Amino acid sequence: MKLCEFIRPESLAQARAVLRKLGPKGLPLAGGTALHFMPGKVPVTAVDLTGLGLSYIRHKGAFFEIGAATPLSDIQRHRGPRWAMHEICRRISTHQIRNVSTIGGNICRVFPWADLPVVLLAMNARLVIYSGKLKEMGADEYFSSQPARLFRGGDLLAAVKIPVLKAHHGFGSVKAARNAAAFSMVTIAALLELKDGRIAAARVAAGSAIPFPKRLPSVEAALMGKEPSAEVFRAAASLAGNDAKWCKQEGMSAEYVANLAEVSIVDALERAAEFARGRTE
Amino acid sequence: MGRFLLDCAVNGARVRRWIDPSRTMLEFLREDLGLKGTKEGCGEGECGACLILLDGRAVNSCLMMAVQAHGREIVTIEGIKGRDGGLHPLQRTFMEEGAVQCGFCIPGIIVAAEALLRRRPAATIEDIKLELTGNLCRCTGYEKILSAVELSRGDLKKKGKG
Repeated sequence: MKLCEFIRPESLAQARAVLRKLGPKGLPLAGGTALHFMPGKVPVTAVDLTGLGLSYIRHKGAFFEIGAATPLSDIQRHRGPRWAMHEICRRISTHQIRNVSTIGGNICRVFPWADLPVVLLAMNARLVIYSGKLKEMGADEYFSSQPARLFRGGDLLAAVKIPVLKAHHGFGSVKAARNAAAFSMVTIAALLELKDGRIAAARVAAGSAIPFPKRLPSVEAALMGKEPSAEVFRAAASLAGNDAKWCKQEGMSAEYVANLAEVSIVDALERAAEFARGRTE
Repeated sequence: MGRFLLDCAVNGARVRRWIDPSRTMLEFLREDLGLKGTKEGCGEGECGACLILLDGRAVNSCLMMAVQAHGREIVTIEGIKGRDGGLHPLQRTFMEEGAVQCGFCIPGIIVAAEALLRRRPAATIEDIKLELTGNLCRCTGYEKILSAVELSRGDLKKKGKG
């Protein structure tokens, strides 16, 4: 995509006003690593979002709040009580791209291979959107379809709020890829809440091997009230086909992808159960 | 086509230039400033030959628009030197270890290693491998490159950076 102008607003309000005025001729730009892969022959005006104070990670009450322009490498390096976001961030692309690529850029326009939407769905994250004032939206609503729909009028993603995991909560994510820097073939994320040795709540989400990231309600339902064991996880994972139609990929049949997804679901659930029992890394 | 007055620092010197906003940082460095040490390999952020330091972090200059460097500090391979202006410890250990064959990827690898050792002088071999995930070398098989970065880490500890 070609740029004809580069504008550096000084506030969210100014950025929104400029984008509203430009309409389809404007492009909000943070890391910009996807710019080269975006179609479009008509030059656009880039509106730089990196100077708006949106690069931060703060622990505020029951949430970690991550500014939308925070590079993935900062999230990867951050540590906090029962922080789990580093696990997936260190698996996204290369270190050099993570130094530039932002959390907002990854989730404002969701590509099929994106990992973060899967994690944020499982974590029950909240998204903070600026539309003249700040408003919050749950991950289920935000990722119900392409989030770019929310930003056509110049509105901007300001922050992502990740619930701080409690002592009996566990989180695990698995990304299956051909090599460390490759796009995902299957990404799975799972959040488990344990109570008296049983699963009291579960959120399991999948991405990459399906057209758009989504939760797996049949898998979640099969976990409820059960003891977290390999057998229970395998039985729940076998129901994933009820919720997702796995797509074939280059060099892989749909059947192979379905099998890879089931194995990845079991791995993610085991990681989540270990986390709930005290693993932190 | 619009123009943008880019004001940034490159290898410690202030640079002010009117540029086309569509110019990549790689084009700006190589074609406008004549800094040919930064290489174009894949042009898609996969090979790491074009790495530069942006405010101390390694980034792919092929994926970055030059305008994004406004008000920021760039260091290219030409700016990575020893304290006396001679070879940087990384450059010395790459020579000592025989870690260079055709050499095309080496500027990017030196930049990536420098970014890591600035941030984490006692980097482990796992840290080094993780940092170099985005650098492809089709000659050496990586072992000598990893050895050179490890050796340089010791050198940096003994003598101080650069």
